[in-house]
Amino acid sequence: MAAGGGGSGDPLAPAGVPCAFSPHSQAYFALASTDGHLRVWETANNRLHQEYVPSAHLSGTCTCLAWAPARLQAKESPQRKKRKSEAVGTSNQTDLLALGTAVGSILLYSTVKGELHSKLVSGGHDNRVNCIQWHQDSGCLYSCSDDKHIVEWNVQACKVKCKWKGDNSSVSSLCISPDGKMLLSAGRTIKLWVLETKEVYRHFTGHATPVSSLMFTTIRPPNESQPFDGITGLYFLSGAVHDRLLNVWQVRSENKEKSAVMSFTVTDEPVYIDLTLSENKEEPVKLAVVCRDGQVHLFEHILNGYCKKPLTSNCTIQIATPGKGKKSTPKPIPILAAGFCSDKMSLLLVYGSWFQPTIERVALNSREPHMCLVRDISNCWAPKVETAITKVRTPVMNSEAKVLVPGIPGHHAAIKPAPPQTEQVESKRKSGGNEVSIEERLGAMEIDARKKGKDDLQTNSFPVLLTQGLESNDFEMLNKVLQTRNVNLIKKTVVRMPLHTVIPLLQELTKRLQGHPNSAVLMVQWLKCVLTVHASYLSTLPDLVPQLGTLYQLMESRVKTFQKLSHLHGKLILLITQVTASEKTKGATSPGQKAKLVYEEESSEEESDDEIADKDSEDNWDEDEEESESEKDEDIDEEEDEDAEGKDEENGEDRDIASEKELNGDSDLDPENESEEE
Amino acid sequence: MAGYKPVAIQTYPILGEKITQDTLYWNNYKTPVQIKEFGAVSKVDFSPQPPYNYAVTASSRIHIYGRYSQEPIKTFSRFKDTAYCATFRQDGRLLVAGSEDGGVQLFDISGRAPLRQFEGHTKAVHTVDFTADKYHVVSGADDYTVKLWDIPNSKEILTFKEHSDYVRCGCASKLNPDLFITGSYDHTVKMFDARTNTSVLSVEHGQPVESVLLFPSGGLLVSAGGRYVKVWDMLKGGQLLVSLKNHHKTVTCLCLSSSGQRLLSGSLDRKVKVYSTTSYKVVHSFDYAASILSLALAHEDETIVVGMTNGILSVKHRKSEAKKESIPRRRRPAYRTFIKGKNYMKQRDDILINRPAKKHLELYDRDLKHFRISKALDRVLDPTCTIKTPEITVSIIKELNRRGVLANALAGRDEKEISHVLNFLIRHLSQPRFAPVLINAAEIIIDIYLPVIGQSPVVDKKFLLLQGLVEKEIDYQRELLETLGMMDMLFATMRRKEGTSVLEHTSDGFPENKKIES
Repeated sequence: MAAGGGGSGDPLAPAGVPCAFSPHSQAYFALASTDGHLRVWETANNRLHQEYVPSAHLSGTCTCLAWAPARLQAKESPQRKKRKSEAVGTSNQTDLLALGTAVGSILLYSTVKGELHSKLVSGGHDNRVNCIQWHQDSGCLYSCSDDKHIVEWNVQACKVKCKWKGDNSSVSSLCISPDGKMLLSAGRTIKLWVLETKEVYRHFTGHATPVSSLMFTTIRPPNESQPFDGITGLYFLSGAVHDRLLNVWQVRSENKEKSAVMSFTVTDEPVYIDLTLSENKEEPVKLAVVCRDGQVHLFEHILNGYCKKPLTSNCTIQIATPGKGKKSTPKPIPILAAGFCSDKMSLLLVYGSWFQPTIERVALNSREPHMCLVRDISNCWAPKVETAITKVRTPVMNSEAKVLVPGIPGHHAAIKPAPPQTEQVESKRKSGGNEVSIEERLGAMEIDARKKGKDDLQTNSFPVLLTQGLESNDFEMLNKVLQTRNVNLIKKTVVRMPLHTVIPLLQELTKRLQGHPNSAVLMVQWLKCVLTVHASYLSTLPDLVPQLGTLYQLMESRVKTFQKLSHLHGKLILLITQVTASEKTKGATSPGQKAKLVYEEESSEEESDDEIADKDSEDNWDEDEEESESEKDEDIDEEEDEDAEGKDEENGEDRDIASEKELNGDSDLDPENESEEE
Repeated sequence: MAGYKPVAIQTYPILGEKITQDTLYWNNYKTPVQIKEFGAVSKVDFSPQPPYNYAVTASSRIHIYGRYSQEPIKTFSRFKDTAYCATFRQDGRLLVAGSEDGGVQLFDISGRAPLRQFEGHTKAVHTVDFTADKYHVVSGADDYTVKLWDIPNSKEILTFKEHSDYVRCGCASKLNPDLFITGSYDHTVKMFDARTNTSVLSVEHGQPVESVLLFPSGGLLVSAGGRYVKVWDMLKGGQLLVSLKNHHKTVTCLCLSSSGQRLLSGSLDRKVKVYSTTSYKVVHSFDYAASILSLALAHEDETIVVGMTNGILSVKHRKSEAKKESIPRRRRPAYRTFIKGKNYMKQRDDILINRPAKKHLELYDRDLKHFRISKALDRVLDPTCTIKTPEITVSIIKELNRRGVLANALAGRDEKEISHVLNFLIRHLSQPRFAPVLINAAEIIIDIYLPVIGQSPVVDKKFLLLQGLVEKEIDYQRELLETLGMMDMLFATMRRKEGTSVLEHTSDGFPENKKIES
């Protein structure tokens, strides 16, 4: 029953989107979102570094990803080497990113090239890839899948080195031991394999649900009394789907004890785990666990043997929006991933939506048991135009390179720190004159395209929303659609809506037409649109009159008062002009006899207007000059007579405008008025 | 001398959503208790016996909750994989559940380990149920088969291989121990009879069937799949009775109210709809926060439990009736006070003098009776009256106008009082049912207060507001007039068609149309 069409078909699939920090320097953060895009973000300045859409991103979505270890970069395919000689300064840059997909293929993506490096398909998995691990030294890649097998890949040759059955059910997680000789795999049980012989060395049982994460927590055994054989005495940790416990296991020399030595409790299923390895005995292991509910739990513990009680976290980190005003309550922002920085004292937090995550470095303070960070991410929701959607890799430049920019020479001055003068001259010579730069043109095009796309999207979704709302009679959904003010949008929606919803929409509109004129005006817009667009359809309906009868009667009864109302409106206008007029006269009388002055200014303005008019007329009518002048005098006299009235009218008009403003919501004028009155 | 006749208060139909018995009944629940489960809640089932505990299947566990406990009183967690469809037996003692690995397990409510394990399905078992005789279990699985198991010797009795896709839902008849029904993703619902070892009836739903339900009488079958809920008449050999399309996403679960009068359906569009089983119209609808996967009603509809995809279980309890009783009521005179002397039979020489019954008058009527018109108006302009029953205020204004004293009643008010009147006008002027009376009143007010206008900023502001409102209303009506024009055109085309078909029709269209409308 569960698979009715909900979000993720498999209820036991690990939560969260696959994401990872690049190893060592953590300069990049890769995130494979549910829409099939792989995005790589720069952690330092929170910018989109690269975006890549695999060709099969809809059929085979990315299920897991892993960065290649940095050391591997040195021995690469010859093509890669050539590039490296060109670009100086990228030696320790992490490059390869392995993506596992739901159909079983593994993609290797090169972040330096910004394109697909190679694809591992032949002889591999035929079902969803659950986990990928790179071997530290040998350049091999290990992957496990729902098809119960574990595959060892030769990355250089893109071929399968070895493939063996890992479990009786799907293998969900992998981890390679610190010395690189053992492999942990987790299906129904956790198994430790010897990589040389592919034999099972140890079994561990304890999780009820598929294990979603495995990780070695120590690289040396806690007591150095016995000789270290590379594996015995090491601790590792495992988290499982739907499980709120992280178990810690120890690899013992004798194969007796099989249960977990200790466990950590968290509030929800773990989504992302990061830890700092402890080098010596005294230093505790620090563990950061991101849960499905968006919280991060930090643990600090010295691993030494069995502990019966589950350990609770030392510190919990949450992020919430600021609650502005009374109405908006703070909402939690989910944390997507967290990674320890190299100094072990601060944490990189990735939060927000996977569409536009925010990456922030947070210093750790172990004394506080609970940290709640207040962040406003509302302004980062829109994709940044300047960084968005660049499939084109930004070229790597060194300092000696000359940059030739077409177009206006000063255009890039703001971005480039200080381009040498010669370059500018050269570029000026090359791109003669005031041509618009390519970038500007591209920018203009891009914006146009986006606008268009957005518009289309909205009108596509509006008819769907409307139909759904009408079918299920969902009040909120209908409100969302019907309360739009955009006439164009209304028209497009009405054009695109299916024909069988026309009558239900009219009935819904009938209900909504009865309300306050403020909202009902919008409904009339819809009604008009429906009537104009679907006129021919409506006229073919045999039972149109009974269908629309109530609507017609309703409207008719409402407009009956039109005449009286207009009459009343006239009265009100007169009244209000008088109000404002009386206010003005009061205001004018209080400072004394200065009113005359005001009038003179006005008249002078009028005069000047008249003069301009006269000048115009002088060209044509020279003879009438005297007459017009005398007329003007008369005008002035008249105005003097109607001193108060004329001014009143004018002021009244002003007031009218002001009143309109006030009605529109500008209530700034009110206190002013009152003070004037008093 | 004729007595005073109280003002007739005009009654208007109540606007907006109609309050029906159903809305009252279904709204009478407390705020939901939300319980977080480990995974999507795929099934909720109430025990048919008191104390009406319910079993909740989520992820690899089955929790049993008591009526008011928010902690599970019992947990069955011995599943290797996801558990499905934990269902109580009719006596509430046994519980059967399917599992992702193809096993069917039978539990005693008091025990922990399974009593019986039925092995035989090769894929996930999504539906299990007890037959009416309590000794058999029916199960349907993703391996396209439906199996009937015997509880006492835990043997498989029969296997039906008639479905051609996953079997995801089913239920056994409550009356006949041999009949049961399964719904499958091959779009069919089949009825099986254990005596014949083939299906006896098959109906085509049209979409993958997510849930089936048999009415207690066994005569009607309800199937849900896609966006449709369909009702079939079993006694007529599977005839489609009605097809309901009230959700905009897949319907996942069905449930009957305890009276059998209402059908509930939950859907991925986060709504639960309540249908009447007589008219098959939606009578109520609930909203939830996430897509709904499972739904159950307790005995006497005391509790609604809804399980959602995000693992949250929402439990709503009915508000207790006793609370209302406990409110102390003012003691009224006993009934016999009123009937005292009423049964006296008139005798031969008696002359009966009826004492005129004392008429009860409302306060405003009393004022009007004594011609205190201003006071009467004040009374009905009181906020308690204007908000709750504006029609009384309007009726009084109308009555004053009829008497020709509205101007007098409105005159002579100070700033505060006049602003009360204006407030009322602003609030109700745009309502078409009050408009004619109120427009008149507004004009009178303007006439009266024109000379003293501009003295009070408060009143001036009110006039400004009123003016804005009137302006908007006029704009709106202008738009309406335009629209009316359009509709006239449409109706006119209609008339022409009628004219061609009906020969004797000659009169011009408009009154004709109105006749049809009315």
